[in-house]
Amino acid sequence: MNTNQAEDFNTVINISHLTKRFGDLVAVDNLDLRIFQGEVFGFLGPNGAGKTTTINMICGLSKPSGGKIIFQNYLNQNNTNIRAQIGICPQENIFWTKLTCREQLHFMGRMYELSAGLSKKRTTELLEMMGLKEKSNVLANKLSGGMKRRLNICMALIHDPEILVLDEPEAGLDPQSRVLVRDFIKSLKRDKTIILTTHNMDEADRLSDRVAIIDHGRLLSLNTPSWLKKSIGKGDLVEIILETEKFQRADEMVNSLKKLCKQVKFSEKVLIIKSKGLIGLIPGITEIINNHGNKVKEIRLRENTLEDVFIYFTGRKLR
Amino acid sequence: MKLLSVINKCTREQIRNFWILILTVSMAPFFVFIYYLIIESSKPHYDLLILNQDNGIQTMGARINYGDLLVQSAEEFQNGTPEIPLSITKSDNKHTALKRLRTQKTDALVIIPENFSEVIHNPDMANDTINAEIEFIGDLTNINYMVSAIWANEILNQYMQELTQENEPIKIKETSLGFSGSINDFDLVVPGILILSIIMLMFSATVAIVTEVEQKTIIRLKLSKITAFEFLSGVSIVQIVVGLISVLLTGIIAHLLGFDFRGSFGSLLLIAVLTSISIIAFSLILAAITKTVSEVLIVGNFPLFLFMFFTGAAFPFEAKELFTIAGYSVTLPGLMSPSHAIIALRKILILDMGLKDVVPEIIVVVLLTIIYFLIGIWAFKARHMKVE
Repeated sequence: MNTNQAEDFNTVINISHLTKRFGDLVAVDNLDLRIFQGEVFGFLGPNGAGKTTTINMICGLSKPSGGKIIFQNYLNQNNTNIRAQIGICPQENIFWTKLTCREQLHFMGRMYELSAGLSKKRTTELLEMMGLKEKSNVLANKLSGGMKRRLNICMALIHDPEILVLDEPEAGLDPQSRVLVRDFIKSLKRDKTIILTTHNMDEADRLSDRVAIIDHGRLLSLNTPSWLKKSIGKGDLVEIILETEKFQRADEMVNSLKKLCKQVKFSEKVLIIKSKGLIGLIPGITEIINNHGNKVKEIRLRENTLEDVFIYFTGRKLR
Repeated sequence: MKLLSVINKCTREQIRNFWILILTVSMAPFFVFIYYLIIESSKPHYDLLILNQDNGIQTMGARINYGDLLVQSAEEFQNGTPEIPLSITKSDNKHTALKRLRTQKTDALVIIPENFSEVIHNPDMANDTINAEIEFIGDLTNINYMVSAIWANEILNQYMQELTQENEPIKIKETSLGFSGSINDFDLVVPGILILSIIMLMFSATVAIVTEVEQKTIIRLKLSKITAFEFLSGVSIVQIVVGLISVLLTGIIAHLLGFDFRGSFGSLLLIAVLTSISIIAFSLILAAITKTVSEVLIVGNFPLFLFMFFTGAAFPFEAKELFTIAGYSVTLPGLMSPSHAIIALRKILILDMGLKDVVPEIIVVVLLTIIYFLIGIWAFKARHMKVE
């Protein structure tokens, strides 16, 4: 089986030439991407980039103006079977305010045609996993913000869907809840295909197997977070603090370093070097420093972050 | 079963939306009580003022004033019929009499003309130009004037009959249909208020549906395996139960206040259920044009008032016939299903008719319900369920 065949085999959602227009506005513009079985697929983009519109089309809540979304081998044209395989945790908490946590999870289970027994079992399990067991019989509108968010995630999972769409799952959560939710999402990896949209780059970096960056409805880049971080911008940055009181042949040293890395700055006792793939260059850098009679006291390395990647692709302009 | 789960969920929500439930089921019983108080504290009474301007005549050495005798006859009528709420007062001055009429201290003024005795004494002299013209003055739009004028006319006829010693060639025999002869004003409004108790469902049913739109939980339902029909059926069943509770409470209060239920309970129940379904179907139209509960409370007032005041629910209401279909009158308020339900209930509860006598009304209610449902489901799907 070659790579293409393996990708075809693993593809859960195949999006091709997907377009959505609202009058003159093109919200999603000829989008092509594949989402694989068991991966966490991060969707990044600024506000109005077309993330939610794409997700709505994937879930069947919105009709594409053009293109196709193929689920394994089914076309998503109001196919209720496909819808039932998707669990969605929308950006805003959606639930029945006058039902308790247990009641609404059980109700949704029944709406997905789970048996009464299975629905109750799943309800209990999810409430336990999300730390809401003690709030089982509390009305949803009486829960704290974090609890509501966790309940929202439970609602997406009650019918044990194959595809889980999480729109900003950590929004509004306190650090403890964030860790709980993150661990929970990690625990679902491989078992489910997860589509994650977020503005939290750290969250996307930690959770996603692959990240798609979209803006103005177009796919700008799609790859693993580490590949994206390595591939763009001015590269990583290293700060080297030298031990020596009197610098030996400083200009000569800097010139030698510039042959190895593009950007080298030297002031006071600190050398600041920027380059792509900098980690691999560090042994050579230290050798040049030593050869010029200087000694390294401390090395501080900062890799490109996903935020750098995001800004690189989408710019700094406010939306 | 998804339907049972929807019923279960809607029942819990309805009970927990305590104030909406209380307002829905208590409005009509409260109306019954208010009507009872109003009717009991304002028994109808009619004031008739008579101004005698008759000059009288001199005959056989004596002076006779037939106008005075007419007034005397009217007073005797009043004393002899205490069950009739009619007061007769004499007036000596036209200016004062008109002032009393304008200030609504009297309902009707009867003026006996100056030549009254003359014309009575010599009936042969009466012709096209000379006759005794008794004048009735009053506010023609006032029902009290109309009733007072009818009584005045009756007194005048009796007096003339006694005077002329002529037998009445035609006598009128009045036979009441059903129990209509023995009912009072309160009995007359109860059928309408029973239907009003169902009309009040318009708010709770619309709120039950629109809440799903406002809270966006309709998205969850759209993504699940439930159909719009199953969901709306579940909501409707709970609302029908609320409607029946409201009808039952209204009926109990009306009975405690003196309303005597006649006709079959089964017929009443059938009409109540059909009307509830009809109102729920109409609520779907209302739900289609609103997005939030606040909008329901504002926009909903318009159809609610139409249904309350122009169907005969709040008070008996007769509308002009536009045309007939198979002998059944079609009126403008007839486009509102409660108007037919009220007619049917009046037939059953007041006129002692059976279910077969209200078949036309039932057919119209069912037809209108189907029309409401078709419009409602189309509009609701287009506004809230459409995948754009």
